[in-house]
Amino acid sequence: MKEYKLVFTGTTGAGKTTAINAISEVPAVKTDVANTDSTLNKEFTTVGLDFGQINLANGDRVRLFGTPGQSRFDFMWKILTKDAFGLIILIDNSRPEPLADLAVYLEGFAQELRNTPCVIGVGRTEEHHTPSLDDFSTALESKGFTLPVIPVDVRLPKDVILLIELLMAQAEADMQEEFLSQ
Amino acid sequence: MNIDVGILANARNECRKLLTEQVGVLGVVISSVDGFDVASAVTRDLEPAKIAAMASSIAAIGIVVSQEASLGASKSITVNTEDGFVYITNIELAGQLCALNVIANSSAILAQIIYHSGEIKRRLEVS
Ligand SMILES: Nc1nc2c(ncn2[C@@H]2O[C@H](COP(=O)(O)OP(=O)(O)O)[C@@H](O)[C@H]2O)c(=O)[nH]1
Ligand SMILES: [Mg+2]
Repeated sequence: MKEYKLVFTGTTGAGKTTAINAISEVPAVKTDVANTDSTLNKEFTTVGLDFGQINLANGDRVRLFGTPGQSRFDFMWKILTKDAFGLIILIDNSRPEPLADLAVYLEGFAQELRNTPCVIGVGRTEEHHTPSLDDFSTALESKGFTLPVIPVDVRLPKDVILLIELLMAQAEADMQEEFLSQ
Repeated sequence: MNIDVGILANARNECRKLLTEQVGVLGVVISSVDGFDVASAVTRDLEPAKIAAMASSIAAIGIVVSQEASLGASKSITVNTEDGFVYITNIELAGQLCALNVIANSSAILAQIIYHSGEIKRRLEVS
């Protein structure tokens, strides 16, 4: 049995806490407290971490960690991504500038992104069509990243599982590339 | 966070008093549960905004740990270090839950800081 550590990060309100709670097979650990920031339309916000765990069909175990979204908690970003196998960045397309939101996490996790597989999940794309997935890909490319971007509704376990499967595939592809370039 | 200016002024005053009157205290920060600096007095090397964010993470993790262990509500957290300590305890400002953070070097006495923190709590919670 292998154990993997995956980290969910991204915009506050994009659904990191929701995603982990949607799929965890153990009671998830939440550290949400009352939000006092009036610029965020949100009753509760994560200030510590989220934690959950799932077992994959092949018996491997995945430990899921969620970060706080706001960059004032970037010290937790560092703590939580230590030894992470992969990173999932969640973006909320209903916000004013989703591409700028993405840039915050690409920058905040720049060091990890150099050698950690990553996928991007964009939420609320059905009601908010722009930026399009292509716009995200273009924005990523302009920063030198080639990462999978998919639309998700993290309230649905199947969407969260899809993100994790995509991340696993991304990790495998990275390993093959490394192998071929040797 | 919406707190009456008078209460905020009292809170700031209490922070300043603890900082100046107690030996070894390097910083006193009252922070909101979600990690904003509400009132503070610090020596120059400390950044209240950062302390506030960190305090809320530590306090939140303290709460889940005490829940997991069925030990009742978390009341305070002390981080003892080689050169001093950080003491974090709950405090209410105008009915809103906050944290009082005291950062001190080894010349401060923890028991004394706990006592004075209790006094500050008592005074601010009635104001
Ligand atoms: N309508 C709608 N709501 C969503 C969607 N994705 C997430 N949400 C909601 O958005 C909120 C996300 O909050 P939370 O999980 O605390 O976000 P976090 O800050 O990233 O941890 C929850 O109330 C979800 O139910 C979506 O695609 N559509
Ligand atoms: Mg959250």
